[in-house]
Amino acid sequence: MSSISELYDVCWEEMRDKLRKWREENYRNSEQIVDVGEELINEHASKLGDDVWIIYEQVMIAALDCSRDDLAWSCLQELKRQFPDSHRVKRLAGMRLEALERYEDANKLYDSILQDDPTNTVTRKRKISILQAQGKSSEAIRELNEYLEQFVGDQEAWHELSELYINEHDYAKAAFCLEELMMTNPHNHLYCEQYAEVKYTQGGLENLELARKYFAQALKLNNRNMRALFGLYMSASHIAASPKVSAKVKKDNVKYAAWATSQISRAYQVRGTQECTLGVFPVRLEDSCHTLLMEPPLL
Amino acid sequence: MGEVELSCLAYAKMYLHASQFPRCSVNGLLLSSSPAGAAVCITDCVPLLHSHLSLAPITQLALTQVDAWCSQTQQRIVGYYQANACVSDSSPTPCALKIAEKIFEQCNNTVLLMIDGEKMFPSCRVPPIVMYERKDARWALKDKHAIMLRQWEETCSIVNQLFSSGDQTLLVDFDSHLDDITKDWTNQKLNAKIMELISPANGNV
Repeated sequence: MSSISELYDVCWEEMRDKLRKWREENYRNSEQIVDVGEELINEHASKLGDDVWIIYEQVMIAALDCSRDDLAWSCLQELKRQFPDSHRVKRLAGMRLEALERYEDANKLYDSILQDDPTNTVTRKRKISILQAQGKSSEAIRELNEYLEQFVGDQEAWHELSELYINEHDYAKAAFCLEELMMTNPHNHLYCEQYAEVKYTQGGLENLELARKYFAQALKLNNRNMRALFGLYMSASHIAASPKVSAKVKKDNVKYAAWATSQISRAYQVRGTQECTLGVFPVRLEDSCHTLLMEPPLL
Repeated sequence: MGEVELSCLAYAKMYLHASQFPRCSVNGLLLSSSPAGAAVCITDCVPLLHSHLSLAPITQLALTQVDAWCSQTQQRIVGYYQANACVSDSSPTPCALKIAEKIFEQCNNTVLLMIDGEKMFPSCRVPPIVMYERKDARWALKDKHAIMLRQWEETCSIVNQLFSSGDQTLLVDFDSHLDDITKDWTNQKLNAKIMELISPANGNV
């Protein structure tokens, strides 16, 4: 079986740089990380210098993701040998126990870290992940809320909490979490768009208008966000179809919806290819808007 | 309610969809190109989402788009499938029940299919699916004997073949289409590949 360096004609430096890029941008392409990382470690460990330790950590976590316990174990051994008293390595050992579904043992390990260092946020979040893995959503939500009272600036935690609330259909609380995220990340179009989706799901005229505004905001921040474009079309169409709005509001929303339709059609013409159902889409949106308008927001 | 037959094409794509996003809940719609009758023949499926399954806008959009596509291609939406992120829990979520109810308004033989993640491994002898049907105003487990997967062994080997040639990455769901609209959510290419693999088994040339 050919090696990565043979298959892709890359040298070890390029492989190392690729791993760094994936690490820095927080990609979870675990199969690739395992392929590239395993070869790098096996063939070129001596050339990596101090980078080797962070690569061991990265490869170990990816290996757990791919059920490669053999690889995870050997990486862990190297790290234990080099950093025998490290909390960070202990936490990795805990993650391996989680991957083996030995949650009680993992929790014991994490509790011992937290006894020494109660502010170890990564370890606290691992304990919450265990609750999620066990399907204990309400406990996970409770713990995450307590965590956020202490660590108010943790974006990752706010986002995780919004996801948990969405899964529990608690849209009001999900919206609150997304509001926190939008405040601290005003230029992030994804948060705007997700917030708009939550508002749309909550339903009712006020929420639909808010949804439309935030879909529009998301588009201002990124005019290629297709979800925001469709969301704008759908919320404006529902508002225009509502018997409770004034003639002016109706007229404005019909205009917004028409604008959205034209933008959608243009996007498909410019970027669509022959393989995609190009013929279906722009035409069908106008035809199907009749059914769309007859239905209130679904869920 | 009568028998339900699940085609190799539909099964393979559902399986690939769940495998492509092992950390997420995924869902999709089950389609039939056969006329309505006592038995339901699920001939194809459309993978929909792998994130925020319980948010309305994209689900609603996807339902109308698939509906429109179905009327153009003489197919009907006859059911819904879902695979939960939490592998040990294959029971229908409130979101699954709501969407299935919606489909039931148009199709009284609606099938609700949950994928059982714990049974998704290569050597498993049993299809990793649990089916529900509408009975007495609730969703009840369907009798396993009324579910048919023709040529189950061939279906398994076709799925394994797709994995070994890396073809599972060809699958596009509606979510991925919205991320990149040049991707085809009707999966024409993948369908053709799967049909090629199926034909020798059926003796059709």
